[in-house]
Amino acid sequence: MSWKEKLQRFQELVNEFYEGRHRGALAREKREEDDLFMLLVFSEMMGVPNPASYYTLELLPILYDEFHEWHTRMGMDKSPLEHFRCC
Amino acid sequence: MSRSPLDEREILFVGGKGGVGKTTTASALALQAAERNRKILVVSTDPAHSLGDIFDVSIGNREREILPNLWALEIDPDRQVDAYLAGVKATMREFVRPAMFSEIDRQMELTRQSPGAVEAALMERMAQLMEEGRRSYDQVIFDTAPTGHTLRLLTLPEIMAAWMDGLLKGRDRSDSLGRAVERLSGRRRERSGDSPPKEEGEESERTGDELSWFQQVDESPGDERGRKIREALLARRRTFSRARRHLLDPDITAFILVLIPEKLPILESRKAVDVLRKHRVPIAGMVVNRVLPGESLGDFLESRRSQEEEYLAQIEALFGDLDPVRIPLLRRDVDGLEGLREVARYLEPFSSPSRATS
Repeated sequence: MSWKEKLQRFQELVNEFYEGRHRGALAREKREEDDLFMLLVFSEMMGVPNPASYYTLELLPILYDEFHEWHTRMGMDKSPLEHFRCC
Repeated sequence: MSRSPLDEREILFVGGKGGVGKTTTASALALQAAERNRKILVVSTDPAHSLGDIFDVSIGNREREILPNLWALEIDPDRQVDAYLAGVKATMREFVRPAMFSEIDRQMELTRQSPGAVEAALMERMAQLMEEGRRSYDQVIFDTAPTGHTLRLLTLPEIMAAWMDGLLKGRDRSDSLGRAVERLSGRRRERSGDSPPKEEGEESERTGDELSWFQQVDESPGDERGRKIREALLARRRTFSRARRHLLDPDITAFILVLIPEKLPILESRKAVDVLRKHRVPIAGMVVNRVLPGESLGDFLESRRSQEEEYLAQIEALFGDLDPVRIPLLRRDVDGLEGLREVARYLEPFSSPSRATS
């Protein structure tokens, strides 16, 4: 490896370190945004009145696996909603 | 502020307290316009429909031509809810194990029973009719349920649009965060050798590569879900914001309040006018129904008349700017086409070009 290649490699590692941190932060933020969205769609089932619940019902099938992923990530083996079971 | 006469508005709402003659007024206006060679749709939104009874035909949940140029529809929100839930249920079944089917059925049944569902379905159908009706008819006349209900139907689009906007904003943020993550990962992939190695001097082609990241991102499976959610939300939002825009446009929509010269209908109309004005819904006029006729009536009715005069004075004081139109108490209750034509003659002032809207 020439000094030029070594320098390039070093630069890549620095970039990777820097971007990796941001990637993690961004991914976390996206996940939180998605969780919030899902909870809003499910809000009526959790006892929070939602004027749009009838209209967002059609989103349930799309969010189905996201919901499963959410409750397992939150440390709940089974769906916490009595009226909405996924596993 | 002078506006086009009522005939030229594409959407009319007839509202008021129960039993004051909303359906009669709506039907008379519809018949009059249809007999003037305009294609009219009259829609009943009250769950206890009486539109069919007044024309002596059965109408139901489908638009039906009951007289030349006159179409009628009695919205059945329950059937609307059923159809919608059946659709959701069918999609749902594609996503879950068969063992869960009964769970889904149970949940859909609960939603059916939830208090907002029927109202939400009615609301949606009205919004659709305001859009489609404008295209297929010269005028759509809504005979609405008692005032309280109607006011809610009128203000709901605003609440709904705010809610949908909130959800869409969340989606936007999530999508752009997702793109940023994908972009960073894409850069890493490229560096670690997934993309073809670059020769020196190929710097200029990097821009092309950057575009290909975006294309890649657009087709990723996570995005497919985001796209579906966004489309569903946007379609709803569009329907509601259009309905709202039409509702508030005085060149398209007019609201007519019906009341009788008695205490409770006057009080309720006052509340209705306040709320409608607060939401800037154009009120085009008022019908004072069942006013005692001028001829001598005998002791009993004369004493009622002296009280009625107070109420009429109140109506004039409260709603004078709406230019109330009076319909006298008729010898027989309104039944059949002749009766409706008689009522329509008293509603003639609505067609005069000088009427103002407040």
